[in-house]
Amino acid sequence: MPAGSEAAAADAHDLELVARTLAGDRAAFEALVRRHERRVYRVAMALLGRPEDAEEALQECFLQAYRHLGQFRGEARFSTWLVRIAVNAALQRRRERDGAVSLDELLEAGDFVPERLSPWHPSPEQLYGRQELRRLVETAVAALPEPYRAVLVLRDLEGLSAEDTAAALGLTVPAVKSRLHRARLVLREYLAAHLERPAGLHQRLLRAAAGLRDRVARRVLATMGRKP
Amino acid sequence: MKRTESLVLDCRQVLASLSCWLDGDGSAELRAAIERHLARCGRCRILVDTTTRTLRLLVETEPFEVPLAVSARLYARLEQALREG
Repeated sequence: MPAGSEAAAADAHDLELVARTLAGDRAAFEALVRRHERRVYRVAMALLGRPEDAEEALQECFLQAYRHLGQFRGEARFSTWLVRIAVNAALQRRRERDGAVSLDELLEAGDFVPERLSPWHPSPEQLYGRQELRRLVETAVAALPEPYRAVLVLRDLEGLSAEDTAAALGLTVPAVKSRLHRARLVLREYLAAHLERPAGLHQRLLRAAAGLRDRVARRVLATMGRKP
Repeated sequence: MKRTESLVLDCRQVLASLSCWLDGDGSAELRAAIERHLARCGRCRILVDTTTRTLRLLVETEPFEVPLAVSARLYARLEQALREG
């Protein structure tokens, strides 16, 4: 599996950079930051929603990571360890902003039933430009209620396992799975509204044929009415 | 326990098992039952296809890039903190 071996090589490189940082090499820490700043920023955006808050959490996360790097034992992947710090930094920022909050707020009961079940445009990149498509995805993610958004970003964007996601967010694994399921469906529904294929030629022909059939039927009925 | 009758799922059950299916979880029996359902249900095929594409778009569009100015301020703050020790 090339993807797996790439990830393993990236993890090994992280470990090397951690060791060099601990030996006093500042450039190694800068390299670690470069490799992971996007990940941390996305997690912070997922939990905080506002760019100015995410920036605050981003800085705090790497300051904390630097201070506590000696505690990283290499049992978890460095990226997973860092995501946990990012989640904590973001939750800390949110407590400062909103007061005490729980990840359980806003949870809706009941099942989510998908409504839009038409095929999608085969190539959304042709429908929208790359930037526009990214903005569409960002808006869709931002529209998710927060408890779903955090789980989706950690699991499906950052690729954490269900167990690591549960540990980072202080949730049980079944709670992670059920929220992820719902988050995916809600995200799909949002994107479907923009990516469904417009009524195609086939459907328009069907509608035209139905109209013609009705007109013919009316005329036949009218003719029969005139000549009983 | 082997049964001769195979598991039959309706659309609601396929929907409930969707994430399981996407994550490669679930028993072989469940996965086979989902496959049988998908072979004859166009709506569920669309559901699976569009959810798969949703997750692919999520990763491929690389949302929430760090703005350059944010990145620059991060490096400046870290450099200062590291210098101060």
